[in-house]
Amino acid sequence: MVKNENESANRPDNTAFTQQRLPAWQPMLSAGIVIPGFVLIGLAFIGIGVALFITSRSIQVLELDYTGVEQDSPCFRCSDPDVRDCVCSIQFSINRLFEGPVFFYYGLSNYYQNYRRYGVSRDDIQLYGDLSSFKEPSDQCEPYRYDRNNQPIVPCGSIANSMFNDTFRLFQNVNGQQVVVPLDGKGIAWWTDYNIKFRNPSITPLRNAFNGTVMPLFWPRPVYELDPSDPANNGFINQDFLVWMRRAALPDFRKLYRRITEGNYADGLPAGNYTLEISYNYPVLSFDGRKKVVFSNVSWMGGKNEFLGIAYLVIGSLCVVMSAVMLIVYAKFKFPEED
Amino acid sequence: MEFSTHLSPFQVLSINPKYISGVLVVVCWQYFLLSRRSLKIFLFFFFANTACSCYASVHAVHFHEQAHPQTAMDKDCAQSGLTWQVRANQRRYHQRQQKKSFLGFRWGRYSDNQVRSYKYSVLTFLPLTLFEQFQRAANLYFLFMMALQCVPIISSIQWYISIIPLILILSVRGVKDLINDMARRRSDFEVNSRPCDVLISQRFSPVQWKDLCVGDIVRIHQDQTIPADVMLLCSSETHSLSYVETADIDGETNLKYRQALSATHDQLTSEPAECTLAAFDGVVFCEEPNDGMYAFRGQLHWRGERFLLGNEHLLLRGTVLRNTQIAYGLVVYTGADTKILRNCGKVRAKRTRLENSLNRAVVVIMVFLLLAVLLLAVACGVFASRVMSRTEVLSALVINGDPVYTGFLVYWSYFILLGPAVPIMLYVTFEMIHTFHSKFINWDLEMYGPQTDCPAQARTTSLCEELGQVEYLLSDKTGTLTQNRLLFRQCCIAGEIYGDASVRAEDTEPMDLTWNPFSRGGLFMWAPALVERLRAQRSPTIRQFFTALTLCHTVMAHWKEDALVYQAASPDEEALVGAARELGWVFLSRSRDFVVVSELGVTHHYELLALLDFTSQRRRMSVLVREPEGALKLYCKGADIVILERLQRDCPHQESAEKALEVFSEACLRTLCIAVRSVSETSWDQWSKTLARAVAMATFDRDALLEKLYDEMEQDLQLLGVTAIEDRLQEGVPETISLLKQAGIKVWVLTGDKKETAVNIGYASKLLDPDARLLEWQELRQILQSPDPDVHFHKLKQTDLWAVEKEKAGVQTAVVLTGPELTEFDQKPEWGAKFMNVAQQCRTVLCCRVTPGQKADIVTLVRKHTSAITLSIGDGANDVNMIKTAHVGVGLTGVEGGQAVQNADFSLSSFRFLQRLLLVHGRWSYRRISLFLRYFLFKTCSFALVHLWFGIFNGYSAQSLYETWFIALYTVFYTSSPILFVAFFEKDVSAENSLKWPELYKCGQRQELSGPRVLFASLAYALYASLVLFFVPCGVYYNSAVDYQTMAVTVSMAAVFTANIEIVLLTRNWTKFNIAAVCVSLLLYFICSRITHSKFFFQREPADYLFYGASDEAFADPVVWLTALLTACLAVLPSMTFLALSVIQTTHHKHKVHSTSRQLVEPRTQFTRKTSLCPSFGSGT
Repeated sequence: MVKNENESANRPDNTAFTQQRLPAWQPMLSAGIVIPGFVLIGLAFIGIGVALFITSRSIQVLELDYTGVEQDSPCFRCSDPDVRDCVCSIQFSINRLFEGPVFFYYGLSNYYQNYRRYGVSRDDIQLYGDLSSFKEPSDQCEPYRYDRNNQPIVPCGSIANSMFNDTFRLFQNVNGQQVVVPLDGKGIAWWTDYNIKFRNPSITPLRNAFNGTVMPLFWPRPVYELDPSDPANNGFINQDFLVWMRRAALPDFRKLYRRITEGNYADGLPAGNYTLEISYNYPVLSFDGRKKVVFSNVSWMGGKNEFLGIAYLVIGSLCVVMSAVMLIVYAKFKFPEED
Repeated sequence: MEFSTHLSPFQVLSINPKYISGVLVVVCWQYFLLSRRSLKIFLFFFFANTACSCYASVHAVHFHEQAHPQTAMDKDCAQSGLTWQVRANQRRYHQRQQKKSFLGFRWGRYSDNQVRSYKYSVLTFLPLTLFEQFQRAANLYFLFMMALQCVPIISSIQWYISIIPLILILSVRGVKDLINDMARRRSDFEVNSRPCDVLISQRFSPVQWKDLCVGDIVRIHQDQTIPADVMLLCSSETHSLSYVETADIDGETNLKYRQALSATHDQLTSEPAECTLAAFDGVVFCEEPNDGMYAFRGQLHWRGERFLLGNEHLLLRGTVLRNTQIAYGLVVYTGADTKILRNCGKVRAKRTRLENSLNRAVVVIMVFLLLAVLLLAVACGVFASRVMSRTEVLSALVINGDPVYTGFLVYWSYFILLGPAVPIMLYVTFEMIHTFHSKFINWDLEMYGPQTDCPAQARTTSLCEELGQVEYLLSDKTGTLTQNRLLFRQCCIAGEIYGDASVRAEDTEPMDLTWNPFSRGGLFMWAPALVERLRAQRSPTIRQFFTALTLCHTVMAHWKEDALVYQAASPDEEALVGAARELGWVFLSRSRDFVVVSELGVTHHYELLALLDFTSQRRRMSVLVREPEGALKLYCKGADIVILERLQRDCPHQESAEKALEVFSEACLRTLCIAVRSVSETSWDQWSKTLARAVAMATFDRDALLEKLYDEMEQDLQLLGVTAIEDRLQEGVPETISLLKQAGIKVWVLTGDKKETAVNIGYASKLLDPDARLLEWQELRQILQSPDPDVHFHKLKQTDLWAVEKEKAGVQTAVVLTGPELTEFDQKPEWGAKFMNVAQQCRTVLCCRVTPGQKADIVTLVRKHTSAITLSIGDGANDVNMIKTAHVGVGLTGVEGGQAVQNADFSLSSFRFLQRLLLVHGRWSYRRISLFLRYFLFKTCSFALVHLWFGIFNGYSAQSLYETWFIALYTVFYTSSPILFVAFFEKDVSAENSLKWPELYKCGQRQELSGPRVLFASLAYALYASLVLFFVPCGVYYNSAVDYQTMAVTVSMAAVFTANIEIVLLTRNWTKFNIAAVCVSLLLYFICSRITHSKFFFQREPADYLFYGASDEAFADPVVWLTALLTACLAVLPSMTFLALSVIQTTHHKHKVHSTSRQLVEPRTQFTRKTSLCPSFGSGT
C-alpha cells in the first residue's frame, strides 16, 4: 500500500477546484427567456419614463433672460460695460398660482466654470480659515494671488474673483403698489460647504483677520462685507459665495439664488403681475454669454427635467422594438429547421 | 614568444589594448558615480590588482623557463585550436588565473566552480528589477506619465493616481522575481555546497563544489554526481571503464561508458592511489570551453608523450557515476565553462498570436490617443485665442497670454488624462491568468498517466490560449502515435521468413525455450523451425545473423538480482539483443576491447576492433570484430536502402529479402537489414592506420574524413537477413485523431520510417480513410510544376484514377512525401506556397524518411505559407527541432529520452491526452483569455475616453470628469476581480460536451473571439460606451443647478455599473467566486467613494479630497441614480442585444451540431477496413 502511494506521488489532487468542477450556476439562456426579458426591461423603462415625464410636466418653470442684448430689453441700457451701478427692472405676469416652495435661480450660459485651470485656481486651506494662507496664498491661485502692490488677495483665485454679483429684488404689483416678495437666502448652499469645507478665521471682529490683504480685484466689497444685512452671513460662509464656489458641471448652468418660502408667498406666487429689480453688475456680453433668472418649483426629482423621462421612454421603446426584431429572427431560424 | 604574451599583464587583466579607451571612459564614469570613500576602495583594488598581475607575470616567466621543452608541442596545439591549458596538480597556478570581476572589470581565465543562476543581490535587486521592468513599453509610458504629472502646470490629475497601478504592477512582478531568485539562490547554494573529494597535498580531502579548481584531481564515488567536466584518469573497474547516467543532461536513463586512456590507466592505477596521482604532472591541452555536448578534442602531454583525448574520456558535470566504485579524474572545465552550463542557452520566448494582436491593439489605442490629444490641444489653442481673450474671468488663465503655449501644455495634460485608456494592468493580469491556466493543465486528473505516474505539465505558461487555435498538428510517429515498446515479431534469414505478424502479439503461442537458461520470456514470435535450425547449427547464415545481433549494438549489460539487464540507448537495439538472447545468442558483457557472448551456452570473446557508430545521417552502424578463431568480420545493421546499396554484387537472397521487406512494412513493422563482411588482415591494417591518423586530426574536416573512411569499410556487404519489429499504436490514438480531425485540425505525420510503414500506420490510426487516394511525388510534382496548381489538381481529381466518388475526391486525398523528395523544395522555393495550397485541400500529409532537420523545415513551411497555429508533438531527440519550431511544442514522456520534453512547451504522458489538452483546456483557455482581453480593452477605454467628449464642454482644458481617486481605484478595485474570475472559471460548454462536439473548436481556429476585427469592434464599442457615459448625464444636467462634483459622481457610478453589467452579460458560469466578485466590486465602489469623500480625509488634505460631501448628496438624489442606471443600460445595450441574438442563433446552431455529430459518429462505429493489412491494429476499431 505504501509503495502504491509512492508510485502515484505526482498524482494531482482530486478537488473540485483543481479539476475545474466548482459548483456553478449556468443560466441556460434561450429565446424563451431572452425575448420576454427584453420586453420586460422595455416595459420597465417605459414605466419609469412615463412617471418621470409626468412629474416633470407638473413642474412649473419661468425663465427670464435679462442680458439686455436686444434693443427693446429693459436691461439694454445696463449692458454697456461703461455704465456703473445700473439698475433695471423686468415686468412679468403669472397666470395661475406658481406653487411653492418656489426656487429662485440665476443662470449663466456659455460660461466655462468647469475650465480646469479656473477650477483649481483656489486655495482650500485659505477658505478653511487658515490664517497662514492669508499671508501667502497657494500658488494655484495665480494670477489672482497677489495684487499689483504684492498684497495677498483673500479669497484668492479665479473662481472667487469672478463671483457673480448681480442682485435681485422681487415685487408683486398689487393695485399699483409694489409689495416686496421676501426672498429667503438661508440654507441655499450645501450643508457640508457651509459647516465644514468653508470656515471663517476665529477672530472677532472678522475684518481684523483680513488686515494686510486685499479683496479680489473684481469685487466691489471685501468678503467680510458681502451681506450688510446679516453679519453672520459674511466671510467665507456667505451663502452666495458658497453657491458660487461650487463649480457648475457644464457651461450652461443655473445656481440657486433664493427661495420664496415666507409670509404670503409660502404657498407659492399667486397669479398677478410682478416686477424684478436687477442691479446689473456682471458683464457677460464680452463672451456671448447670457444671464437669466429662473423661477421653478421642485418635485421629488428636483427641478424640471424632461430629457431624463424622454430618454427612458425612447430606450424602453427601443427594447420593445428590439424584442420584436428578435422574435422575427427567431422565427426565421426556427421554422425552416422543423420542416 | 607566444607563450609569454599569453600571460602578459594585459592578458591577465583581460583588457585588450583596444579596449583601453573604453576602459578609461568607464573609469571616468565610475569616478563620477562613486563617492570619495568608495573611490578610495576602488583605487586600492585597482592597484592591488595591478600588483597581483605583475606578480603573475613574473611567475609566468618563471614557468616559461620551466616549460621550455614543451614549447614546440604547445605551439602545435595552439595552432590546432587547443588553447585551453590545464596542468594537473597545479591548484595555485589555476587559482591565480580564476575569473574575477570588480565594478565591471573582468580578468582571469578560468571560471570558478560556483553556480550563480541568481540575478540579484541585496544591493542590486531594486535597480535591476526596475531596469528590467521599465524595458516594457507600457511601464515606461506610465513612468513618463507620472513624471509629467509632477509638473503642476500640466498635471490634470495628481501624480499619485497613476503611481498606484504602476506600483502594484512593479511590486507584483518584483515579488515574483524575488521569489524566483530566492529559489534559485537556494538551489545554487545547495549545489555549490555539495561535497567532493579533492587531492590536496597527497590526501583526498572533502571540499565544497564551489571551491573546486581547474587542474584538481578529484575522486568520485559510485552514485555521486560529477562536479565539473572531468577527464577520466583511472577508475576502480577493469580498463578504467566508468559508467555514467546522463539523465540530467538529455533525460536518457541508459548508462553510457567512459574510458580512461590506457596510459593513465596503466600508470596511475595503484593502491593507494594518492601517491601516484599526486605525482601526476600531465598537461592537458584542449579546446576553449564550448557548448558541444558530444564533442571534445584535446591532448594530454605527459612524460614527453602526447595522448589524444576525445569525448569518451570526459565525464560531464551533472552526470552521475554508476556501476563504478571509484573514478579519478582531472578537472578540465569548471563552473560556467562546463559543457552543461554552456548549453543552458537563453530560452526563446514564444509569443502567442493573441498577445501579438493585443500589442497591436495597444498600439492602435496609443496612436488614436495621440491623435485625439493633438486634436484636443489644437482645439484648446483655438478656444484660448477665440473665446478666452474676450472672457474677463478666464482670460488671465491663458498662460503668458499665448494660446499656442496653452495648447502645448494642454497637450500634455490630456496625455495624462487619457493615459488610463492604455491598459497597463493588462499585462500583469494576463500573466496571472496564464499561470492559472497552466496550473489547471498540471492539475488535470484526466491527463494523468497512472502507469508512468506522470501528470500533464505546462512547461511554458504563456501559451495556453494558443492551444485553442491549433490548425496544424504535426506529429512524430514512433513513440508518439505508437508505443515504442518494440517487439521482435518476424525475421527473414537467407530468404526464409520466420514468425507471423498477423497474429496479435498477445495471442502468439509462446515457444518452448526452457533449454535456454538465459531466457526470460518476452518474445512474441512463433517460429519453431528457426529454433530447430538454430540449435542444430546447420545453417551458418542463421548463426551469423544472430551473432550480428549480439555484437552490433551499443547496449550495456549488467547483472541485477541474478538476471541479465540490458540498457540500450534505443528501444530497437534492446528488442534485437533481447530477441537474440531468447534464442540462445546471449550478449553477456562488454569492455573496451572485448564483447563477451554466450552462443548456445558456449562463451566466446570477440575482440572489438572498431565501432562505426550510428548517426541519423548514416542510418547504420557497424562493428569490426576479431572472431575467436582469428578472422576479421564487419557486422553491419541499418536501414534497408542504406544496406541494400552497399551489398556485394549478386548477393544471394537479395530478392527474397526485398520481398520480405515489403511484406513486413505492409504489416506496419519496422525493418532493419543485417549484413556481414569479411575483412582481410592487410586491409584492416591499412584502414586502421588511416583511421588513427584521422582521429588524431584536430581540424574541422575530421568528421567528413571519418565519414568517408567508414563508408569505405562498409562496402561489399553480404546480406544476412532482415529483422521486423512491431511498434504498436498507443491507446486511444485512432479515436483521438478522428476527434481532432472533426475539430478541423489537420494532422500531419512526419516520420523517419519507410513510406509503407507510415501509410499503414496512417490507415490504422484512422488518419487515412480506407478508400483514401494517395497523392505521391510523381503526381504532386506535376501539380507543382504546372503553372496553375489548383486547376491541375482539380483536373487530376476528375480523372478516372481519382473519381470514385467525385464530390468527395478532394477530401479523400492524402499527400505522401519522402525526405529525399523534400530536398527538392530547397531548390524551388516557389513550390512551398503551391504545395501548401494543395496540402490544404487534402486530408492529410505523410512525410516519411525525413531527418530531424526536415521535420523542422516542414513546420517552417506551414508557418510561412499559412497564418495558422502549428503544434508539433514528439517524444524523441529527433523531434526537438520541430518542437522548437512550431508555435506550440508538445513532448511525450516516453521510452526515448527526455529531450523532447525538455524542449517542449507542454508535456503529456500519452498521445490521447492531446484531445483534452486541445479541445478542453485549449478551447476554454482561448475563450477565457479572449473574453478577458476584449473586456479589459472595453472597460479601460470606455471609462477613459469620456474625457474626449467632456473636453468639448469645458473649453478643452483637460478637466477630469472623475474624482482623481476614482481613476486610480477603478482599474484596481471596482472592475478587476470579476473579470479575473471569469478568466479563471469561465466555461461555455462542459468538458464532456467539448469532447462530444469537437466542431466547437473551430471557433478558435477562425479567431472568432480574438481576431483583429473583434478587437476593433470592442474598441468601437468602448468608444460608443464612452459617448453614452458622457452625453446622457450631460443631457440630463444641461442647464440645471447640478454642480460638477455631482455630475462626476454620476458618471463614475454609471461607469462602474456599465463595467459590472458587462461582466454579468459575459459570465456564463457563475461560481460563488464570480458572484462574490461582482457584489464586492459594486460594494467597494460605494464604500471607497464614501471613504475618499469623507470629512476625515478632507480635513487632513483639503486640496486632494475636495469631493467631501459630494457622494453623500449624490447618493441621496434619485435623479443621480436614475441617470446612472439609464446611462449604464444604454451603454451595455449593444452587448445585450448581441448576446440575445447569439442566444437565439445558438439555440438553432446547437441543434445542428447535435444532429451532425450524430451522423459523424455512426460511420466511425461501422468502420471497416477494405484490406486488412494490419490485423494487429484491428483492435483499435
